[in-house]
Amino acid sequence: MKILIIEDEKTLSDSMVEYLSEEGHHCEAIYNYFNAIDKLGMYQYDCIVVDINLPDGNGLDLIRFIKKRSISPGIIIISALNSLENRIEGLEIGADNYLTKPFHLAELNAHLKSINRRISYGGNNQIIMNEIKLIPDEHKAFVRETEVILTKKEYELLLFFISNKNKVITKAGLAEYLWGDYMDLADSYDFIYTHIKNLRRKLLKEGCQDYIKTIYGLGYKFELT
Amino acid sequence: MRLLTKITLNLLSISLFIFLFGMVAFYYLLRYQVDQNINLELEKSKRIVNHLLVSDQLSDSQLANFELKVLISPLNSPRPPVNFSDTLIYNKAVNNYNLYRQLGYAYSINNQTYYIQIFKSLEETDRLIVRIVIIMNLMMILIIITLLIANRYSSRQDWKVFYDTIDKINNYDVDSRMEFSLNNSDIKEFADLNRVLEKMTDRIKSDYLNLKEYIENASHEIQTPLAIINSKMELLLQWGDMKEKQYKIVADAYEASNRLSRLNKTLILLAKIENRQFPDSNPVNPAIMINHQLESLEDLILSKKIKITRRFDDDVIIQMNPYLAEIMLVNLIKNAVRHNIKGGDLIIDLSEHMLEIANSGPPLQMDPELLFKRFHKSSSSPESLGLGLAIVQKICVLYGYKIFYSYQNETHIMHVEFGNRL
Repeated sequence: MKILIIEDEKTLSDSMVEYLSEEGHHCEAIYNYFNAIDKLGMYQYDCIVVDINLPDGNGLDLIRFIKKRSISPGIIIISALNSLENRIEGLEIGADNYLTKPFHLAELNAHLKSINRRISYGGNNQIIMNEIKLIPDEHKAFVRETEVILTKKEYELLLFFISNKNKVITKAGLAEYLWGDYMDLADSYDFIYTHIKNLRRKLLKEGCQDYIKTIYGLGYKFELT
Repeated sequence: MRLLTKITLNLLSISLFIFLFGMVAFYYLLRYQVDQNINLELEKSKRIVNHLLVSDQLSDSQLANFELKVLISPLNSPRPPVNFSDTLIYNKAVNNYNLYRQLGYAYSINNQTYYIQIFKSLEETDRLIVRIVIIMNLMMILIIITLLIANRYSSRQDWKVFYDTIDKINNYDVDSRMEFSLNNSDIKEFADLNRVLEKMTDRIKSDYLNLKEYIENASHEIQTPLAIINSKMELLLQWGDMKEKQYKIVADAYEASNRLSRLNKTLILLAKIENRQFPDSNPVNPAIMINHQLESLEDLILSKKIKITRRFDDDVIIQMNPYLAEIMLVNLIKNAVRHNIKGGDLIIDLSEHMLEIANSGPPLQMDPELLFKRFHKSSSSPESLGLGLAIVQKICVLYGYKIFYSYQNETHIMHVEFGNRL
């Protein structure tokens, strides 16, 4: 997937480029509004990651600019401003997601994956990972064609793992992805532990391999060998 | 003691003193005047008596004509000076002594010297004086009472501004949007007081706003560096060739920076709620939200074997910002699950007027008053930010809801009263 990252904070931009490039995306980084307009005018991207506060302009205007074109890419807003108005405005003018800084790269990646699926298959797709098959539209999971009955959170968890396979996923990243901001997340780790235990148990019962590895003190990794 | 009462009492004691002193002085002054008057009359009588003596017409009937009481006795001793004095004379008719004023003088006629005493009854004038004094007393008392009442009443009017000021300061909230203005007064002291107070509150308010703005700006500015730290750590974690010890170090640092991020986001949220940056209220159905939350916590509830009792009125609609409504309910429900015991109860009552979320658990180890304080947390969960209930409370304050905590029958209960704002 071809991704344009418009973020004036170069170091943050670098992190995103590195993480996403490893996932096999082709990333370009732009650090201001002016150059972004240039790039967007010339090239076609599958997805745009855009900061709202740019030194010489507003990210929302960029989105309006992109949306005028016939084939519009997926758009993810990243912003330090977590105001509801901004969020609503951003989503209203056509952004797919709104992430508040600081966010987790794994979370950004998961959102990009879902945009990718939407663009590539019009959303009508399956995710197949060895013996596991997910149907995102129906929130269903299968192991070798046998349906595994998962709760909503367990399903989201599995999807998140598969989106970030072979990456170390921190507990904090998981918690925020599953429950969003503003939760007193302290004991969310217990919740996560419960969710993962159940998910693992359900998958193993259907004869799935044990992909979910615990990384002590840190989080988990969905490891494909 | 109120100043007004104090002033009244002072006034009263001073007037009583002046009144007593004044009355005594008045009595003697009056007496003196009357005596002078009587002395004049006695002098007049003296001329009449002398005339009668000279013309040798002195007789009882003549004296009675002139309403004179006279005692004439021959004098052998040297002539005493003319003198006025008071004396008591026994009156047989009423069997009593009566007070008289007498003029005594010597008078020579035909080589014979007489000592003449002319008496004038003081009984009537005395009675008059007593009456006058009594009437004066009554008048004075009346005047004092009237003055006191008038003073009290008019003071009360003047003090109104002062009490109004006290009342306003008492209800002053630096966080409120209300303009703080005090009533004008034509009394200099009160006007000064109000002016100084207004100046002071203005300064407090602007200091407070500056501080608040500073914190908000700082919080926002912290977000970007935090995002950089977090993203770098996350990248670092993906390096496969780290030793477990290295992982542990990165993990700890990552954990801490995450906590900071969460803390910062939460503080920004709190500031936003305080700044009323969630203006739009929409009809919200809490029952649906609660069910949704319970569903997302299902696994944990099952693992703790918590028994849920829902006593919902499914049609309750409250006017709230949906986002804030969700934050409020999530925090309350999560608390009730978190602090629940294994196999405990979770009872949710929802009616048009209130929401009650009750959960089993051992009694609180801390002062319930502190529950809603920022950063106050139970020692059992050191990871907790201790901001959940502070947020809930802020939201309640924003919408004028009343939130309070109670504990009975080994059950913690959080009550939220929606009040009249439905």
